[in-house]
Amino acid sequence: MKRRILALGLISALAAAPLATAAASSEAAVSNTEYRKQWHSDIHSGYQALATQSQALADQAKTYCQSPSPEAREQTRQAWLDAFLAWQQVRFVDFGPVEKGNRAWQFQFWPDPKNLVARKASYLLRNDEPVTAAGISESGVAVQGFPMVEYLLYDQPFSNSERALPADHTCQLLTAVSRHIADNGATLAQDWKDFQSDYVEHAPYTDSTIRAAMAGLEILEERRLATPMGLRGNGKRSVYSADAWRSETSLAAVNASVRGLRQYFMPAFSTLLENQNKADLAGRIEQQFDEVQANFPGLERPMAQLLADDTAFRSLQSLYIDVTQLTALVNDRAAVELGVVRGFNSSDGD
Amino acid sequence: MPGLTRRHLIKTALAGSTALTLTGCSLLPGKAGADGPQQYTGAIGLPGNRFAVGAIAPDGTMLWQSQVQTRCHSGCNRPGNAEVLFFERRPGWAFYVFNRKTGEQTHRIEAASGEHFVGHGVFSPDGRFLYAPANRYEPGEGIVAVYDSHQHYQRVNTFELNGAGPHQITLHPDGRTLIVGLGGILTHPDYDRIKLNLGTMKPALILLDRHTGDTLGRFRPSHHQLSTRHVDVSPDGTVYAAYQYQGPAHHLPPLVTRYRKGTYEEIDLGESVHRKLGNYIASIVAHPENDLVAIASPIGGTALIFDSRSDEVVAQAGIADCAGVEALAGGDFLVSSGRGKLVRMGRHQPASEIARMAVQWDHHLV
Repeated sequence: MKRRILALGLISALAAAPLATAAASSEAAVSNTEYRKQWHSDIHSGYQALATQSQALADQAKTYCQSPSPEAREQTRQAWLDAFLAWQQVRFVDFGPVEKGNRAWQFQFWPDPKNLVARKASYLLRNDEPVTAAGISESGVAVQGFPMVEYLLYDQPFSNSERALPADHTCQLLTAVSRHIADNGATLAQDWKDFQSDYVEHAPYTDSTIRAAMAGLEILEERRLATPMGLRGNGKRSVYSADAWRSETSLAAVNASVRGLRQYFMPAFSTLLENQNKADLAGRIEQQFDEVQANFPGLERPMAQLLADDTAFRSLQSLYIDVTQLTALVNDRAAVELGVVRGFNSSDGD
Repeated sequence: MPGLTRRHLIKTALAGSTALTLTGCSLLPGKAGADGPQQYTGAIGLPGNRFAVGAIAPDGTMLWQSQVQTRCHSGCNRPGNAEVLFFERRPGWAFYVFNRKTGEQTHRIEAASGEHFVGHGVFSPDGRFLYAPANRYEPGEGIVAVYDSHQHYQRVNTFELNGAGPHQITLHPDGRTLIVGLGGILTHPDYDRIKLNLGTMKPALILLDRHTGDTLGRFRPSHHQLSTRHVDVSPDGTVYAAYQYQGPAHHLPPLVTRYRKGTYEEIDLGESVHRKLGNYIASIVAHPENDLVAIASPIGGTALIFDSRSDEVVAQAGIADCAGVEALAGGDFLVSSGRGKLVRMGRHQPASEIARMAVQWDHHLV
């Protein structure tokens, strides 16, 4: 240990971002369980909302399929959206019970460049074999979550096909997948509750939680905005690179994710920053959340429209800039000052 | 350490105008193993989501940097020949062959239909045959694909591993036994890098005859979620493997294992050490000149060296995003990081940063 301290001391003298940062973070992380208690409780309320809305979706899908009507279909779309947005709010949590059985992927298989959702749907609906809960459980993550229900409720070519809702077989798929989502929602909320003592007692979960928020922001900026906006890859704007393009709710989902980070991540994170004499930074982050959220609800429009028209595109650009500034404050400023690293290799998984 | 008080700044005029800062001595120490090339090659991440493979010389200059289409992971030097190979990151659809001296890309060999590479490979001692672990992804079967470099890297053989998710491969000093880390994790390129079988994984350390493909040994870790990824072997034939645990983060399972004289044993480095490793080891290297073994964990931001005779940790350092490890002549190790750092570590001297470059070193140096 003595040698290690000496080593870090020497190198600190050399470099602005010394080797010591990783060590500093683990020291800081040990100190306090209060943040994790708060995070546990906040995320739990997010998961409970997801469980409640998912149950409501399952109930509504059943009601609709028992007596189909245009109104009931519209109500089912609304129930899907409520549950999907509840998921968006907690989507950043990428550790703990949501890792079990790939639950996060089950809720939302995305990105889907090969359009597996549509391919799987047509496979499952190719004949009149009954769709069962067991069948859904075995069908893989492209079948098991919000994108599949979205496909059945919103996809235009599908909605004009003979298999369109409320066809019997499609209704079976709709209710079975909605049921699967509701079951996952309920189990996840319960598992998170049971996870409390492990989470609160183990200091490294502070880093896990901060890293989860960082990853959530990075995905938001890079994959949910920059990529469909044509700022990455081949440079072409494409709504199909966004999530939830079928329901035209990509931006409502962005808003929900930002809201979720603010509601379930920020309270404990602000306290943590304030306790480390970084109250100014905490204030700047809160302010930047205001800036991002000020784009809404005005910007809860179909992304396709905003991509198609250069004038409209500017409002999307201004959201993007606000999000990049938020990401910079959390991922580059705050996390670095706290010594939390989300690196090229550490987030690779090989 | 008088050298630590001054810094040399060398700006290379090479591709990417990579600036390199050398702290301490202006020469990198030599690489262990007299017959190996005196340079280090690694996959690199560049700004703007661009990727390359690059080599640095012992004097610290970037020898070359060769752009590649997608992120690469690791590679291998071809014995007796001026070639170095790099594999695309999993799912890897190709490997690249470079002239080790110039960085010129001489081949890009695509994976066979229905297969992808996993980031690693090793040559036969004569430099003719390349053994590359791969995933036959529809049935989810791990294989070792064999290529003949004398026939422009034609595929000449396939060895079955009877399990999913092979990762690193190396060659035993007997020249005949291939050592493969079988991660046990089922993936499919349609599903990104999603782990499809976390409940039913069957990871293993596998020993394979490189002439016949026969399995000579198969060792299972103490828990089915201890994904056996990285392997190395010392000149006396002691085999090491490093795990990446797929269970909850607050568990502290063993992460390193050793196979020696017929015994497979997991090594307990102590709870306080395990807490710094994030249940994830990215590289393991046994030093060819001594009994030291180095491991690096980018998740834990920690690299350490233990003595394989006593299993005592003899050196450790916090290095953000560290992953690559190389053995240096004289008994020390070189650790690379995703933040462009090269850090020298050894039993008898504190960890010292010897270079910092404007690149992200990907997992492995070869």
